[in-house]
Amino acid sequence: MSLLTEEIRALVGTEVSYTAPEPLGRAAIRYFARAVGDDNPLYTDDAYAREHGYDGVIAPPTLICETNQYADLPPDADGYAGHDWHIDIPGSRKVRGGNAYTFHEPVRPDDVITATWRLDGVTERRTSSGQEMLVVSSVAAYTNQHGTLLVTNEETIIFVAPAAGPNTGPEAAPGKTDGSEEAR
Amino acid sequence: MTGPDVTAGSEVPPLERTIGLRDMVAYAGATWDWHRLHYDAEYLAKRGLPAPVVDGQVFGALLAEQLQDWLGPRAVVRRLHFRFKNLVFAGETVRCTGRVVAVDGDTITVEQRIVLIDGDEPERVAVEPAGAVVVLRAGEEP
Repeated sequence: MSLLTEEIRALVGTEVSYTAPEPLGRAAIRYFARAVGDDNPLYTDDAYAREHGYDGVIAPPTLICETNQYADLPPDADGYAGHDWHIDIPGSRKVRGGNAYTFHEPVRPDDVITATWRLDGVTERRTSSGQEMLVVSSVAAYTNQHGTLLVTNEETIIFVAPAAGPNTGPEAAPGKTDGSEEAR
Repeated sequence: MTGPDVTAGSEVPPLERTIGLRDMVAYAGATWDWHRLHYDAEYLAKRGLPAPVVDGQVFGALLAEQLQDWLGPRAVVRRLHFRFKNLVFAGETVRCTGRVVAVDGDTITVEQRIVLIDGDEPERVAVEPAGAVVVLRAGEEP
């Protein structure tokens, strides 16, 4: 069975854009820093941030790559409310491959984020145990309301085909799994 | 004030974090990601998963924090990359480690990885390879 259908191949080059309905906001920055356990005062203390060359508090660098705030989408059946290409491969496991971020400019609370996702490519590969997999590569560019490029995020998502054998039916296949031995 | 030792081969001080379900719920809220994988026992049981799965994206935040805690406010992370190797479950403890690969003027390249350090179990790698490029801005002492 080939995972790479014409339908999926046709998605390559697709772009979709989301603009946040409001500025990122100081509360979102403090909430994120608190949630990840980062007490760096650059994220909460304007005076400290100014002493260190910024115009005021900044967001932790990876925040806009991790949040779905800008997407403003309703949650799907799994509860997920972020960007998705809606690639459905029955029986496959969807796992995260990895990310590569490039930080161009600091993100500020008054930035209204636009994220533009582009599906860059799909490649068929095999896991070390011989299972077929489909590697989907995307790039997100995050800009603010002034058109300034803030961050780029190259992301890899992997669909692993079910192996022959017991306990590999759809019921045993997580819909989304962050990380896996196969995701190399 | 003496700054950190930043030469090729220097170790980046490790960052350890136990990620409990409460932290994961806070993270789900803070990132607008309510995927059931991260908290819903019934959903997990149906898929044969033993416990809520930590959202892998959080490891990007930890890798960046590890570098900024070490180098201070003049450090700006320019690039950060990471690949997932194994799932991390609620209540597990991760350790981010790192090493300086190269220093070129004000630009530092580091290699990082994240391992699980739970009890006597053999080491399980959560994230590898990973790494970053950090720029130290001029005009400030660390």
